[in-house]
This record gives sequence, C-alpha cells and structure tokens, in this order.
Amino acid sequence: MVKKVLLTVGALLCLFPAMAFADEPSAGMLNMGLNTLWIILAAVLVLLMQGGFILLETGSTRMKNAGHVAGKTIFTVGLASIVWWAVGYGFAFGTGGNAFIGLSDFFYSAPLVGTDAEPYSPTAFFVFQMMFVTISLSIAWGGFAERAKLSVYLIFTLIFSAVIYPVIAHWIWNADGFLAADGAQDFAGSTVVHLTGALAAFAATVLLKPRIGKFNKDGSANEILGHNQVFTALSVLLLWVGWFGFNAGSSLSVGDGFFAYVAFNTQLGAAAGAVAALLISWAFIGKADITTMLNGGLAGLVAITASCAYVEPWAAVVIGLIAGVLVFFSVKLFEKLRIDDPIYALSVHGAAGIWGTLANGFFATPELAAKVGIGEGGLFYTGSWHQLWVQFESVVICGAFVLAASFLVLGIMKAVMGLRVTEEQEIVGLDLSEHGNYGYPEQMKKAQQNLNV
Amino acid sequence: MNDPEVAQLLALIGTVDDTGALRSLRDRIQEELERKLPNTSVEQFYSDLNEVHDAIVSRAVHLAEQEMARTGNGFPPVPYAYLLFGSGGRSEQTLSSDQDSAMLYEIPDNADNREQVEAYFQAFARLVVDILKTAGYPPCEGNVISTNPEWCESLSEFKRKLNRWFEEGHWEVVRYLLIVADARMVAGEERLIQELKDSFYRDTLEKPLIVRRMLDNTMKHKVLIGVFGQLLKERYGEDAGSLDVKYGAYIPMVNAVRLMAIQAGIRETSTLERLKKLKEQNRLPEEADKYAAAFRLFLKLRLLTMERNEGGMYKNNGKIAGDRLTAELRRDIKEALKAGKKLQRLVARQTASKLM
Repeated sequence: MVKKVLLTVGALLCLFPAMAFADEPSAGMLNMGLNTLWIILAAVLVLLMQGGFILLETGSTRMKNAGHVAGKTIFTVGLASIVWWAVGYGFAFGTGGNAFIGLSDFFYSAPLVGTDAEPYSPTAFFVFQMMFVTISLSIAWGGFAERAKLSVYLIFTLIFSAVIYPVIAHWIWNADGFLAADGAQDFAGSTVVHLTGALAAFAATVLLKPRIGKFNKDGSANEILGHNQVFTALSVLLLWVGWFGFNAGSSLSVGDGFFAYVAFNTQLGAAAGAVAALLISWAFIGKADITTMLNGGLAGLVAITASCAYVEPWAAVVIGLIAGVLVFFSVKLFEKLRIDDPIYALSVHGAAGIWGTLANGFFATPELAAKVGIGEGGLFYTGSWHQLWVQFESVVICGAFVLAASFLVLGIMKAVMGLRVTEEQEIVGLDLSEHGNYGYPEQMKKAQQNLNV
Repeated sequence: MNDPEVAQLLALIGTVDDTGALRSLRDRIQEELERKLPNTSVEQFYSDLNEVHDAIVSRAVHLAEQEMARTGNGFPPVPYAYLLFGSGGRSEQTLSSDQDSAMLYEIPDNADNREQVEAYFQAFARLVVDILKTAGYPPCEGNVISTNPEWCESLSEFKRKLNRWFEEGHWEVVRYLLIVADARMVAGEERLIQELKDSFYRDTLEKPLIVRRMLDNTMKHKVLIGVFGQLLKERYGEDAGSLDVKYGAYIPMVNAVRLMAIQAGIRETSTLERLKKLKEQNRLPEEADKYAAAFRLFLKLRLLTMERNEGGMYKNNGKIAGDRLTAELRRDIKEALKAGKKLQRLVARQTASKLM
C-alpha cells in the first residue's frame, strides 16, 4: 500500500513538478506566514487557559455549583467572542477614532490572507486579541461566583466585552490610545487583561455581598473550602502552560526569537511566585498552605505579564517573589475588609496586576524598552521616575475607569433586575436553580436527601 | 486546702449519700473556688480543685460500691483500684474536665470465678461512670473510660496487654502507653497501680525503640508560635482570633515533660512535679524554672478558656478568646510559648541522641 502511494506521488511529481515547487514565496511572505502561525498557536494556548479557569473556579467552590460554574465559562466565552467580533474589536483596535476609543472594523470582515507587506495576517491578530477579552471576562467571574443569577452573566458579558474591556485595550494597546502615547508599558496585559478583570470582579463581589455563611455576625470569617484541590492545582498548571501563549505570543513575531526570552522570564516569575507564597504562608500561619501557594504561582504569572519583555531575568525572579508575598497579605486584607473573594481574583489578578504594571517603572531596562519600542527604562536603571510615573498613571486611570464603569453597569442591573439568586436557591446550589441538574448528580442527590430528612 | 469554707464543703463530699446531692455540692464548691480565683495562686487553685475532683470521684466509687451491695451483687470480691488518666491523672483538671479512667482488679490467674468477677467490675464501673455523669463529668470522647472492657481489667491481664503494646509499638498503642504513664489512683488499693507502673517502667527501659515512637506522638502538637515570634491564632470559623491554649500550648508541654520523665523513671504524674524532679536530677539545663513558669501560665490560661454547659455537662473548647488577650498577656504568652518550643526541641534532641 505504502509502495503504491509513493509510486503514484512520484509519477505525478514528474508530470506536475509545480505541485512540489509552487511559486517561490518571498522572504516577506514567509516571515508573515511564520508570524501568523505563531500568533494562532499562541491564541490557541490562551484559549486553553479557559480550561484553567474552569478548573480553578470549580475547584475553589462547592460541589453544588460545579456544573454551573464550569458551564457558564464556555457559554460566556462564546458570547464574548461574538460581541468582540461585532463591536469590541472596533472600539479597541479600530483606527478611525480618537485617543479614547476606536471607531472602525465593526463586524470585523476578516481578510482571507495576509500580504508580504504585513507582519502577520490581520485575522490572526484579531483571533489572538479575541482570546484576551475572554480571559479578562473569566477573571471577572471570580467576583460573581456561587451567587449571581445566570442572566447577570449574560448581560454583563455583553457590556464588558463590548465597552469596558475594549476601552482599556484601546488606551494602552492601540497606537492611537493616550496611555500608549505616554509610553505606558504593559506587554501582555497585567493592567489591560488582569487588573480590568479583577476590578470588575471587585465591583461585583461588593454589590453582590458575601456568600451565605462566609462571615459571622462578629465579623470573623469562615473558610468556605473549595470542593477539589486537585482541580485547583491542575488549573494552575493549565493556566501556566497557556500563559506562554499569553506572554510569549504577545511578541507577535517569530523574527529573531525574542519571544523565547519572554517565555523564559515568564517561567521565572511564576516559579518565584509559587515558592514565595508557600514560604510566607508557612512562616505566618505555621502551615504551608496549598491554596496560597497556588495563588502565588498565578500572582507571579500575572505580575510578570506586564514586564516579561522589559526586564532582566533576576528582576523577573524578584517581581515573582514579591507577587507571591503580596498575594498572601492581599487575601488577608480583603478578608479583614469583609469582602468575599471566592476565587481570590482580587488578590491574584488585582493586587498582582497593579504590582506587575508598576514593576516596569522600577525594573525595565533601557535596551529592552528600546527593543519593544514603548516607553523607557525604569528607576533602577535610569534614575528617572518618569516611567514609574507613567505606569502609575496607567494603573490609576484604567483602574478608576473600570471601577466606575463596572459599579455603574452592575449597579443599574442590581436596581433593575437584581444580581443575586434567592437565599433558597443559593442554599440548594446554582446547578439546580439555574440549570435544573447537578454537576455531581449522585453525590448531590444524596446530600439533598439528607437535608430533607 | 487553705480555705476554710472550701475545706468545709470538701469534708461534706465524704458524707453525701445520693448523686443529686453530689452534683449540687460540686456546683457550690466550684462557684466558691471561682469566686476566690482572683486571690489565689494558680498552683493553689489547681491543688484545691483537684482535691475536690478526687474527693468526688472517690465518693462516686464509694456510692457505687454501696449500690452494688444494695442491689444484691455484694461487695467487691477482690481488691481493685480506680484510676484516672489525662488531666485527672496529672491532677490538672480544670472546672470542666471529662472522665478518663480505668478499673483495675486483682484476680489470680487460676481463679474459677473469673467471669463472675469480670461481670461484677463491669457493672461496678458502669455505676461509677453514671454517677460521675450526673455530677457533670462528660465521658471521654476517645472511649478511654472504665466502662470500656479494654480499660476494665485484671492486673495480670493489663500487664500482658502492656507487654503487647510495647511489642507492637504502632501509633495507637503508643498513645495508650502515654496515657498509662499519667495514671493515678483515686480509690482502692495503691499496691495495684504500683505493680502496673513497675511493669511499665521496666518495659520502657528494656525497649528503647518505643521511646522513639513516643517521641513522634509527643511532638504531634505544634506550639502555636510562628517563626517571627507571632501567635498562631485560629483563622476561621466562630473561634476566629482565639488561641488554642489546650493543644497549642498546654498539651505540647505536658507531652514533652512526660516523655522526659518517663525516660528518667520519674513516677510523679503532675507536670510541675515532674519538672521539679527533672531539675533535682539535673536533667534540665539551667532553665527549669522558666519552663515551670511557662507551664503555670498555661494552667492559668486554661482557666480563661471558654466554658460551656452542654446538656448538664461542664465542657470547654480549650481556646482563649482573642479579645481576652491583652497586650501584656500576649507578651507573656509569647515568652512562655518560646520556652515551650525550646523544651520540645530539647526533648527531641535528648531522645534522639539516646537512640543513636
């Protein structure tokens, strides 16, 4: 059989040599094609991170909500993709706008192919950016977990991926954006993706109020343990793998292989975060806390996201270490403030996102800033406070906008339709109340029977 | 007993004839002791309180004996000893301690009425435990109590069991061996427990490996002080902010001192007495007084832990509420916990070096 195939192919090649040697592609075309391949591969890796979020959010919450928590992620990824295609991309990366918003490319009509004059196929860029909005959205869901109505997920997806996220992306990542013009450095989105998602989560969790049973009357907190720590650990691994697409992919080119350096720094930051968090929890609470360690790894990733292309390896380690320590204290702080953060999104993506963005202002090297072509070196190299100020400015302005927009949108939704399920529904679990079936039917039906007896 | 009012009440215990009166007498004495607590030294308080507990248990045994006779079972056919373990054995019971006990009796190996005697003592032990329940002593949750046939046995049987435990040496029996180390008799014949302890200490010296296993059990509970010298308090739940004095301060120290005492062949059961003996034998470096002071503080803190009354039983969760920890107290506790941790390390080092 193999022989016959080879024979046929050989004969055909003799007849039609063009099949093997089509028009010689130009170097520009090859370059475009290679970059496009890398971007699409990176986009797929970022999409894989949704698997991470599904396991992270499910593992950190209770069995009775498992199906709902997991399923809604897939649903909102789908919905956000369509919204991004229709309007989000146009607001974020459209050209004919101003420093605050883009205004072209609505209902994006994707070009079939790229040309040798382009660095990559614009379609690949669109797909890659589409994955980012879905990640930011999934981060936001951390603040909604275990008590928001399904309809709230639907409406908020529409507004978040149509307006809130695109505006921030435009400011920092569109060359027209005013923060981009100031030289704000956010390589893969510590602010754009992570802080934005985290602040939406913050608004949600404040407006939704804590889950039933999270806090006692005297203000002390109860530990609502997630139902599967193995899920949570696996989720961190999935996110970590996907993060190579997130960060290294953000180089948007194969070219001289700079993306490998970005990947390298990413690994160092994540590793340092996990190690620091475990050690700090061990020292402070007397036990090496697994959840804290996992959060530390993620915090390291979030923090290095802004700076992975701008800093030296030692700085990547320092940034990760600080992120790991920061996340431990941030979790304690939110608990003290009586803010229920079921998935630790506020600390992992918010606190670490702010730190990661600011870190550029300290650690960015002038050479790497020049290489990426945005902003300048940080305080430790130049002695100048300029870049740190720009980073600070971008955190404050973006943070203020996302907070205001999220509170406004969710506040209106709360007044009009209500955000939270009834206490009865929350007790019985959202699997049953929102979807009619348990994610773990055998176990939950048994538990339900015990409840009724 | 240096308090005339309490001494008077204590003397009354020996005259009480029914269990209800025993309970109301206990309530009255405890109220009285609590009232005097601010003006009493912690050692005096524990000494008075445990004298009271001993008198009540002893009276309960006596009442049970009478009841057995009254119901036609007669008086004890052979000599026996009623033992207390745990805090009772160590004379460190608080106002709310549970019943950890055993019934030991002496029956010749060739006796032909063995089954009858067994049945007698099982019924007898049940009565004692019931009377003490009425007096507000909850039964031991770990089932180390004289109503459990495992802890209601003849001396020879018990000695065989001890030997078996020393042979086996897995975690559960090591726990029992450490429990036996604290045994103290409150009613019956002293000779029986002496024989048991002779056997215990002989076996311990012959089986140095068991000491290694005892060390693992002894180190099981961590002293609640962190690497920065901070208190490790409860983080979640209704007791958030409180300090688990029982398992994070008191028990680790009891365990450490017990293991040192066992290795030194010291027969005293109270922790402070053990420390005193250890010091006399020069087995503690310079800081023996510091350890005793730390332990006295833990005894005091035990009295501050949250008391509850559940179903008529005196109970206690062993934790001291965060708002009772004043700045001054916190500082003292930290010092004491550091001493406790040091002692733990010391016993670990001593035990390990011995086995090298």
